[in-house]
Amino acid sequence: MTKILIPTPLRQFVDKKDTVEVTGSTVGEALNALTAAHSELKKHLYNDEGKLRSFVNIYLNDEDIRYIKKEATPLSDGDTISIVPSIAGGR
Amino acid sequence: MIQIQPEAWQVMVSHAQATYPNECCGAMLGTIDGDTKTVKVGVVIENAFTGVQHERYELRPEDLLKADREARSRGMDLIGIFHSHPDCDAYFSETDLKNSCPWYSFVVLSIYKGQFHHANSFLPNAEQTEAPKEELKY
Repeated sequence: MTKILIPTPLRQFVDKKDTVEVTGSTVGEALNALTAAHSELKKHLYNDEGKLRSFVNIYLNDEDIRYIKKEATPLSDGDTISIVPSIAGGR
Repeated sequence: MIQIQPEAWQVMVSHAQATYPNECCGAMLGTIDGDTKTVKVGVVIENAFTGVQHERYELRPEDLLKADREARSRGMDLIGIFHSHPDCDAYFSETDLKNSCPWYSFVVLSIYKGQFHHANSFLPNAEQTEAPKEELKY
C-alpha cells in the first residue's frame, strides 16, 4: 500500500481524511486510484487534457517525481506520496 | 474568516519588516473549525526567487512540504501562505493570481518604509481568474 497525504483544502473531497491509502505499482497508478475513488478530486489535480495542473507537484517521499521518472516512477510498499503546490507571486 | 493569533502575527510582521525592501514569504499553520481558520504558527520560509526580490517571491515546494509535515506533526493544518508587498498596498496582483494555488488563504502584508501598514487575505478561485477577499482578523 502507498499513502497519499492530502492537503487540508482537498480533504473535503476524500471524506475529510488527511491520508488515503491506495495500491499501484507507479505514482501515476496510485494517483489514478485516488481520483477513481474520489472523482471530485480529479479536477483539482488535473487539467482538461488529463495532465497534472501546472502548479501541482508530486513528491515521492522526499523527491519531486519530475526528477525521477515522473508519473512512471515505481512505488515500493510503504512509500508516501505528497501533493505540493508551486506558489509564487509579486506585486 | 481567517484569524491570526498574536504570536503567529508577530512572526509574520517581523519577517516582513526584516526582509524589507524585499518581499518575504512563509506559511501559516493552525486549525479550521467550520468557516473559521485560526492561524497559530507562522513559519518563515526563504524567498527563493532568483531575480530582484523587491517585487517577487517564490516558495520552494520542498519548503512547503516541510511546513505541511510540521503542521501534521503538531496536529495542525497548513492553512495558507503569506507574503509582503514592500511600499505598496496589500492587494492580490495579477502575478500573485497566476502563480497562486486555489487551495489556500493568501495573506498579503503591506510594508511602507520598513513598517507594517495593513494586510488583507485572499482566496483564489479554482480557475485562478479571481481572488476575492476573505475576512481577516489579527
